[in-house]
Amino acid sequence: MNHRSTIARRSFFERVCGRDAQHLWDLVVQLVSRELKLRYKRSVLGIAWTLLNPLLQLLVFTFVFRGVLQLNMSHYASSVFCGLLVWTWFQSSLTDGTGVINANPALIRQPGFPSLILPIVVILVHMVHFVLALPVLVIFLLIDGVMLQTVLLQLPLLMLLQLGFTAGLTYILAATNVMFYDTRYTVGVLLQLLFYATPIFYDASIIPEYYQFWYWLNPIAHLVAAYRAVLIQGFTPNWLPLLGMGMAATGLFVVGQRYFIAQSDRFVEEL
Amino acid sequence: MRPAIVVQSLGKRFRCYTQHRPRTLMQAALTGWRGLTSSDYFWALRDVSFTVAPGEMLGVVGRNGAGKSTLLRLLGRLGRPEEGTIGLNGRIGALLDLGAGFHPDLTGRENVLVNAVVAGLLHREARQQFDSIVEFAELSNFIENPVRTYSTGMMMRLAFAVAIHTRPEILLVDEHLSVGDQLFQHKCLDRITQLKAEGCAVVFISHSVEQIEKSCDRALWLNQGRIWAEGHAGTVVEQYRGAMEPALLKSSTGNQTQEVA
Repeated sequence: MNHRSTIARRSFFERVCGRDAQHLWDLVVQLVSRELKLRYKRSVLGIAWTLLNPLLQLLVFTFVFRGVLQLNMSHYASSVFCGLLVWTWFQSSLTDGTGVINANPALIRQPGFPSLILPIVVILVHMVHFVLALPVLVIFLLIDGVMLQTVLLQLPLLMLLQLGFTAGLTYILAATNVMFYDTRYTVGVLLQLLFYATPIFYDASIIPEYYQFWYWLNPIAHLVAAYRAVLIQGFTPNWLPLLGMGMAATGLFVVGQRYFIAQSDRFVEEL
Repeated sequence: MRPAIVVQSLGKRFRCYTQHRPRTLMQAALTGWRGLTSSDYFWALRDVSFTVAPGEMLGVVGRNGAGKSTLLRLLGRLGRPEEGTIGLNGRIGALLDLGAGFHPDLTGRENVLVNAVVAGLLHREARQQFDSIVEFAELSNFIENPVRTYSTGMMMRLAFAVAIHTRPEILLVDEHLSVGDQLFQHKCLDRITQLKAEGCAVVFISHSVEQIEKSCDRALWLNQGRIWAEGHAGTVVEQYRGAMEPALLKSSTGNQTQEVA
């Protein structure tokens, strides 16, 4: 095989179907599986760890808001668990993704390594966790007396939306974190704020009328509500805000990627 | 024949930041986003031009800070040059940070497969080459052990074996051949010579001028980011040695001089 390639510009077709595309795919698969292996290499519980965290949080919320504060909400445990899984995927991706360039200097210094895939790898790793937790959620739902409906088939669409939205954000944050290493901590604090501004352990209907407009400017709130509609209530979610979010996600993805590429020449120097 | 590497009036400068440059978002915001750009520059490379043909081996000599590693990085497309262009025809293989990509908790086998794909092979090709890689590294008995249990030499051997098996058409070698024992060093040079014979262009940095004299066709002497001399490896090395010797004699005892020369 003759690879006289690195610099010559190739057609779109070649890029999508050729050896490079195959290699990019292999690279993503290898890096994702390496991450997963590493995470559970030296632990007894293995993959169960990822479930333990949301389950413990669930326990806390159920005790506080059911037992103590008497929050009124149907299918409380299932709703909270669903929200927690979605949130965990988003939060972990953003936190790990922000530091991903700094955490992988060896990969960044490899000639020809496409650093663009690193944030995607992080998001995919956490998506695997999310997908592995889904069967547990379904068991939860069945015990809770929820009837699963065919709208469930819209779930992959929601996941794709979340993937794109998170990826765009992560590109910007990861590139910024190379220049300013406290970006990570700032993101951590903002995420905590966002957690309370998202209907995870409560229902959005308890938000006073006056704040409703501002409240629903939070895209993650729409996302969580949509997941719940599909999984628990069995409704088609309100696709209008989601469509808006999809367009925002596409824009964010394009802008984020451009910013990332523009900054990427400096990665080697700054690390 | 089309050259494998064409470098034209290459220039790379680095910013000289002041000590007041903000390192965190907080500092940057508090200082009003000042000090983020710098007006002071330092040229690590300037006006560097050369070509390397397929099957040719170019040695680069120069003192520390002459720009050798910067040149190698730019050839590997790490960072963007401020001036000039680099044209490359062929797949790049690099021996830059040997072993840096290995994860201590993964086994030798897992590391080899991941790193071979990172270095540019398809997963399928990596599996085909696996046995050959392990054999070259002489690590068949330890390949299922985590890399953290390896000695430095073992790790370097494995990293070298991976890099050399990616069938590069352009090979960038940083001064890493000093790893492993004499026998393994010899084996590595042999393998590089073999790749060269198959048409691979090699750029080789070393402080060991004998190695360059022995195995390179041509040599480049970099001094403070500029080409000081260029030509037949033996001639350039002779000039370089001639320039270094008086300085060495002045600063050290005779027996250290012998070591270098």
